[in-house]
Amino acid sequence: MQALFRKIEPYLYLLPALLLVGGLLLYSVAHTLAISFTDWDLITPPRFVGLQNYIDAIRDPTFTRSFSNTLIWTGGSLLLPVGGGLLLAVVLERIPGQRVLKTLIYLPAILSTTVVAAIWSYVYTNNGVLNETLRWVGLDALARPWLVFAPTNTLAMIVAASWRALGPSMVLFLVGLQTIPPELIEAAKIDGAGERLLFWRIKLPLLRPITAIVVIMSVIGSFMTFDLVWVMTQGGPGRSSETLAVTMYRQAFIMWRMGYAGAVAVILSTIVIAFSIFYLRETLKRSAV
Amino acid sequence: MIERLSLQRRSLDRYLVLGLLCLFALAWVTPLAIVALSSMKTPREQSQSGILALPENAAMILENITSASELSGIGNGILSSLIYAFVGSFTAVIVASSAAYSIAMLKIRFPFFWFLIIYSGTVFPFQMYLMPLFQMYQTVGLYDTRFGMLLFYSAIAVPFCIFVFRNYFIGMQGEVIEAASLDGASSFQTYLRIVLPMAKAPALFLFVTQFSWIWNDFLFGQVLAKSDDVRPVMTSLAMLSGTYGKGSIPQQMAGALTASIPTLILFFALQKHFMQGIILNTAGE
Repeated sequence: MQALFRKIEPYLYLLPALLLVGGLLLYSVAHTLAISFTDWDLITPPRFVGLQNYIDAIRDPTFTRSFSNTLIWTGGSLLLPVGGGLLLAVVLERIPGQRVLKTLIYLPAILSTTVVAAIWSYVYTNNGVLNETLRWVGLDALARPWLVFAPTNTLAMIVAASWRALGPSMVLFLVGLQTIPPELIEAAKIDGAGERLLFWRIKLPLLRPITAIVVIMSVIGSFMTFDLVWVMTQGGPGRSSETLAVTMYRQAFIMWRMGYAGAVAVILSTIVIAFSIFYLRETLKRSAV
Repeated sequence: MIERLSLQRRSLDRYLVLGLLCLFALAWVTPLAIVALSSMKTPREQSQSGILALPENAAMILENITSASELSGIGNGILSSLIYAFVGSFTAVIVASSAAYSIAMLKIRFPFFWFLIIYSGTVFPFQMYLMPLFQMYQTVGLYDTRFGMLLFYSAIAVPFCIFVFRNYFIGMQGEVIEAASLDGASSFQTYLRIVLPMAKAPALFLFVTQFSWIWNDFLFGQVLAKSDDVRPVMTSLAMLSGTYGKGSIPQQMAGALTASIPTLILFFALQKHFMQGIILNTAGE
């Protein structure tokens, strides 16, 4: 009896984690996959329809628009927080007072996306911060309803999201820059390399591992964009600013088309997981002992 | 001579860059100042005075919070979210550290397999969880209950915690087993008296990051709760804000400010842990 307990005991430490993660998370993943092959409104029993939901999605112009909006999010996030973060890190690296500036720029990242959405809704509203400022400096012609027309509404929200995302990517690049041996930079300088050459030929190639992680995280994050869009526009007006995650939510919890929503979730996951595999390879490589 | 000139130019450039950066950082945090200012105004004052004009009566913020709370239940939301964030992240830290202890230090078969199973919980987009959880919660009576929210928040935090603890435990394996075998402790005693106390640093770090994750969650509050008593703070704030929000601008900003206080306090108290957090989150140390 005691021998049996000895054998089982180590697994008991594992059990709560397995129950929580398996019972709530992994079970849900399998169930969503199953739902995606059915027609289901939560009330009548689900009916198996094979790949019909996937075919419907691909033919649906709102899905196509949602997909292309998501791609715009991906591109915009690579340009603003990632590209901008790299630029800031390189400039900030040798500046006195770096700490204070770093903290100020990082500050919005502490706020929740919902808070950021609340703030930027006020910035973009008709008599909001942005339009008032434009009128005040005499650029009345530029003032407009920022969240009404596509693709301006999506671009405006990307700027809002970047306000939150810039700090973390900048910090990561700064960490990466610190790992570059100073002797290397000194040697290159003695050889007469200018700032530009130094950046393209030495810093950027040596930053590659960090860059890979920041880029992959940014892509994954863009594909999962939900909170900000839902709070600011609910994907509207006329579903013009939906992202894939918003489309999934609307189909499931507003229109009660669970099967279709499941298909959107699975398509979204396939893309995210494809990128995650790169990411996991990077992180597991570092943690494997 | 030429050398000196170019040196002077370079330091001039440097001041120019510094000046530009300061301006940029200042502009960057201006929205925060605007939030604070607008949250202290009456709706009328807000629409008539300039955006950066000082409020007439700063105490107006209390009135705005009270009325915002009546409108959206954000007061209850703050209480609920404090419970979720404290208890949820505490539970996750305990559950994950014991599982990681088993995986890294005890004799089990296929430890890496069990690790991957649990760690895989970090890979899927949240959209994969929504419908089954909603249906399951409706069926078993967990929908719109604080216990149901707690259960979910604990579960979602476990996979990342396991990842960090496992790394940490693998690093300290030798010393622990030696110390434990010396005084003939049982595996539970070893976990409680030796492993946990030694894992204070990652435990604190994880508690802080998971606390702010749960505090900042909007989506699962939206799907798994509906009443004022259960709905977490961010889901309540969302009812006030945005194009479809029902609060006035001062109410929205007062709500946003109040909802940010706990994470702001955590950030300034534990700035080091936060910065470390994003590095760990991404690079896995």
